[in-house]
Amino acid sequence: MTKVVKQQINKANDMEKMTYTEAKNELEQIVGTIESGQLDIDTLTSKVKRASALIAYCREKLTKTDKELRKILEDIS
Amino acid sequence: MTMVEHSFSLSELNRRVRNAIRDQLPETYWMRAETSDVRRNQNGHCYLEFIEKDAATQSIVAKARGVIWSNHFQLLSAYFETETGQPFTSGLNVLVRVSVEFHELYGYSLTVVDIDPSFTVGEIARNRQLVLRRLEEEGVLTLNRELALTELANRIAVISSPTAAGYEDFRDQLSKNPAGFVFYTKLFPAVMQGDRSESSIIAALESVYQYSHLFDAVAIIRGGGATSDLSCFDSYAVATNVAQFPLPVVSGIGHERDVTVLDHVAHTRAKTPTAVAEFFISHITQTASELADFQGRIIAESEAVMLAEQSALLALSKEVVHQSALLLQREIAGVERTAATLTHALQQLLQQQLHYVESKQQYIRMVSPEHILQRGYTLTTRNGRIVTSLQDLSVDDTIETRFSDGISTSVVTGLRRPDPPAAE
Repeated sequence: MTKVVKQQINKANDMEKMTYTEAKNELEQIVGTIESGQLDIDTLTSKVKRASALIAYCREKLTKTDKELRKILEDIS
Repeated sequence: MTMVEHSFSLSELNRRVRNAIRDQLPETYWMRAETSDVRRNQNGHCYLEFIEKDAATQSIVAKARGVIWSNHFQLLSAYFETETGQPFTSGLNVLVRVSVEFHELYGYSLTVVDIDPSFTVGEIARNRQLVLRRLEEEGVLTLNRELALTELANRIAVISSPTAAGYEDFRDQLSKNPAGFVFYTKLFPAVMQGDRSESSIIAALESVYQYSHLFDAVAIIRGGGATSDLSCFDSYAVATNVAQFPLPVVSGIGHERDVTVLDHVAHTRAKTPTAVAEFFISHITQTASELADFQGRIIAESEAVMLAEQSALLALSKEVVHQSALLLQREIAGVERTAATLTHALQQLLQQQLHYVESKQQYIRMVSPEHILQRGYTLTTRNGRIVTSLQDLSVDDTIETRFSDGISTSVVTGLRRPDPPAAE
């Protein structure tokens, strides 16, 4: 496995552990970078990809029920 | 049976109490007390409880039933509401003029005949000011308000009475939010009215604290109850716990008219449980719209960059075409020039060749046997072979002499050689 592939996998795993705010902060940073207009088109593409993944992740947090969390809360007595 | 002789029936005893009270307390009296459990019946009479609390412990130290007859109540409640800006309800410190009554069946009660609203205004304000000042002096007043509500605030610990309609309203409102945001609520039951409410709310807060890592915020809600004993929400003990709580606390205690101490110290004050739900929905809607804004900005910026790249690419490709055309034109012109030069050179060459050929033809014509024969020379052959020497001939040989215009045949009659030079 190449180093790059490994990094990508690590990144994907990272996102699962990210809090909403962490994901949002990274997103905000990417938006800032994109809006600085300093990116070449290849970097832009990879940044947009990452941003899309972060947006999807955040959106899921907003609208998709975390069954595990629901169970934990139910178990509090 | 002296006991029987000295005993009373309950009604006899009660009558005595009634008479004693009437005799001893014949007038009307101005009395300070707190209202509780204020309610009106169908006839418009108002029934309530008067209570008095210990200033330090807030525990109830005196209690009496009260009544305001319909004709009085209409006047007094309107007057009270005009002066204080709030309806005559429970949880108010009031100064009322009462007559003291005792009824054999209904027992002790106070009949209200007049009220001094300015006392109530002062009392509530004074009490709240006292508590707020104490909280401020202790440096905790604004602590909860200063907390930042996390962007994804959807895990809510709810402190409420489990049977309260307000709790159901809260849950309904959250679950039917139109955008389909997910919320997690966990009820930490508490008594929300009466003497036990203060300690019960504090106990619930302590339970939430055990699990505070699982929550984003706390909602203290109340609503739909029969009475309006709000004293626990003006209590120092509840307020100081809320103020110092590590999670933002949102209050929705169904108290429309004024702001309790709890409302002051809470991160956010909403009027009703439904309004608390609305607050959380609106907060997460904000969060989602921020997300949408990011998305929009990324798309807009990407499109702008792509557009710029495309137009740069287009300009570049135009330039390539243009430059290629120029190059081609130059090449064509070059080729045409070369072609012209070549044609010219070829023509010259051809001309030269033509000249050469013509001069050669001239020469060939000059040297051709026909030409030579025409000039008077002849060609002699014998047996088809050209005779170039006398030695090839003998006398009587038949020879042919070729002229330009024909051939003669003759016989050699003699051979004569030029005299050799005298050598001997």
